[in-house]
Amino acid sequence: MDTFLQVTAYGLLQGGLLALVAVGFSLVWGIMNIVNLSHGAFVILGAYIAWEVQGWFGLDPFLGMFVSAIVLFCVGYVIQRYLINLIVNGPVFITLLLTFGINMALIQGMNLVFTADFRSIQTSYGSNSFEIGNIRIPLVRLLAFLLAIVITFALVAFVKRTRTGISIMATGMDRGAARLMGIRARHVYALTFAISAALAGMAGTMIATIETFDPSKAGKFTLMAFVVAVLGGLGNMYGALVGGLLIGLVEAWAGQYLSGTWVNGIAFLVLILVLIFRPNGLVGKAFYAARVEI
Amino acid sequence: MKKTPRTSAAIIAASCLAVFGINAIPAASAADVVTITLGASVPLTGSLAKEGLLTKEGYQFCQEKVNALSTATIGGKQKKIDIVYQDDTSKPDVAAQNLSKFNDKGIKLILSSYGSANVNAQAAVVELNKQTMVDSGGADDAIFNKGYTRTFNVMSPASEYATSMVKAISEMAKPKPVTMAFLSADDGFSKTVTLGGMKAATALGFTVIGPQYFPNATSDVSAALNKIKADKPDVILGSVHFVEGVAMIKQAKELGITPKSFAQTVAPPILDFATTLGPLAENVLGSSQWSSVVKGQEKYFGKASNYASEFLARFGHEATYHNAEASAACLAMVLAIEKTKSADADKIKTALSALDVQSFFGRIKFDSTGQNTFKPMVVIQIQKGKIITVWPRAIAQAKMIWPYVK
Repeated sequence: MDTFLQVTAYGLLQGGLLALVAVGFSLVWGIMNIVNLSHGAFVILGAYIAWEVQGWFGLDPFLGMFVSAIVLFCVGYVIQRYLINLIVNGPVFITLLLTFGINMALIQGMNLVFTADFRSIQTSYGSNSFEIGNIRIPLVRLLAFLLAIVITFALVAFVKRTRTGISIMATGMDRGAARLMGIRARHVYALTFAISAALAGMAGTMIATIETFDPSKAGKFTLMAFVVAVLGGLGNMYGALVGGLLIGLVEAWAGQYLSGTWVNGIAFLVLILVLIFRPNGLVGKAFYAARVEI
Repeated sequence: MKKTPRTSAAIIAASCLAVFGINAIPAASAADVVTITLGASVPLTGSLAKEGLLTKEGYQFCQEKVNALSTATIGGKQKKIDIVYQDDTSKPDVAAQNLSKFNDKGIKLILSSYGSANVNAQAAVVELNKQTMVDSGGADDAIFNKGYTRTFNVMSPASEYATSMVKAISEMAKPKPVTMAFLSADDGFSKTVTLGGMKAATALGFTVIGPQYFPNATSDVSAALNKIKADKPDVILGSVHFVEGVAMIKQAKELGITPKSFAQTVAPPILDFATTLGPLAENVLGSSQWSSVVKGQEKYFGKASNYASEFLARFGHEATYHNAEASAACLAMVLAIEKTKSADADKIKTALSALDVQSFFGRIKFDSTGQNTFKPMVVIQIQKGKIITVWPRAIAQAKMIWPYVK
């Protein structure tokens, strides 16, 4: 029983990390209807920024993640406003191509600047854990999990209770109507993309503190974010959290009872089953997957 | 600028100098030089970019040394080698396609990619195209069990990776541990490593636990660790790549798993292992294809220690075994070219089959399957942040620290 509880606890914490990676991706997809294939590259860029900040100034990653977030907010804003915005009315295939291109450029840029060496942010508490009964809880994973929850609730509060947040939701629901109401859609889209990139930066900092990273890991995080967003569903800010926790748990339980790559197979089997029985994801809203932009 | 007759004359004169002057020297020497082109498809991007770059450095270093020092001639002309590179993006299908592109350009002599999956795909194409390849990056025994005759691997086979550490622990660990748990990534190379290690451990009287497999390239090996936690093994032996290796050490600490020793393939000899893990890397054992104290020498690189110091001066970082095995593969190809005095792939294949040389990389000699089963591996240990050779005893730089996990 202890082993099962240990596995479950670890799976939940891993799920929190996945949710943290996916929340920004889900936001952009849900609001802007753009599948951002460069999201994983933003995560890795955030990891490098926090790693550099720690190297230069000795800043703890839990402070460094705010630096990552600010830098990536600016990067995200500029990329959306002056690049993606050019084709935002185009077919989804074109946005996929463009974000894929941005992804390639970012990865190769990071390869050139940081090399392909494996990196990790070292802290004195990085592998510390504490016990609850016979269950060990890793400290940094717990903090990342809590961060995912805080960010999700903060995002919900932001879009429901602030004027900017409401304008983001309005633009996501009907861009044409939002424009008629005086909302500057271009700015709102850029803001949304910037927030997503900032969240990716924070996630990257946590990844760098928990595990190793290098530019080639970008694709893995984009795929993770995609799976979690689909599983959780679009149009609901809690979607990424729900999807992340479910994938984390399924992978942990599958790993306990199955071997090797079967673990990945089970995770994707769950995704397929959810899509069969709940095509809009676990907590998603049908409107967001089916809307047509004007 | 207004052109005067004088400036025009100067420009013409400079142009003549540039065209005739610069070309005149190579034209004279080009007549005396024959350049043999080798093709190398290496992963410069993607998940194996780090190892791919190290492999490319090893090939580059070899080219520079050979071209600077070689006095061998072919048909009365001085021999030079030129290695052309293609990025295979860490994907086996691209690695194989690149060899066909080389073949279309008439390049028949190949230096391999990095990673058993890539080399496995390449070996089939090499056979099809009647090219000849020296392998520096794919050690899986499975590559050489298919009857291929044109691929030659300078490295010790995969089955030796874990076996060498099991032997080292058996010989040097006092008190001798009793139980040994095997954790492994589930790719072909890692499984071959694990099965070889388990066989050796059983033969040497250890109680074997596992194997427990986890997905290749995962950063979460907690499930495999949880499965062996209750057994409290004395040694956890991981057949891992870098990412899994780091995850294993970190997550074992998180989960409170404290064996007397961790031993891992591939990851600890990479310089990033110690820098990434810091104190947690201390005293982890690793198996390596090469270290700077390996015995043997030849005319291009001298001894292993010469290779290490000259490589450091050239590239600004310590040579890893990835660098050395790439240089060794290139060296084997060069020696075969010199032996045959030709660039004919069939003749070079025959020469490689008969090659037997003591080099900075140790003995290079191929058995009937094309594997170098004549070179032992070394076991290293991270001691005070440095990679120290601790086995075989004859070349050990320091004693193995044992037991060490508190």
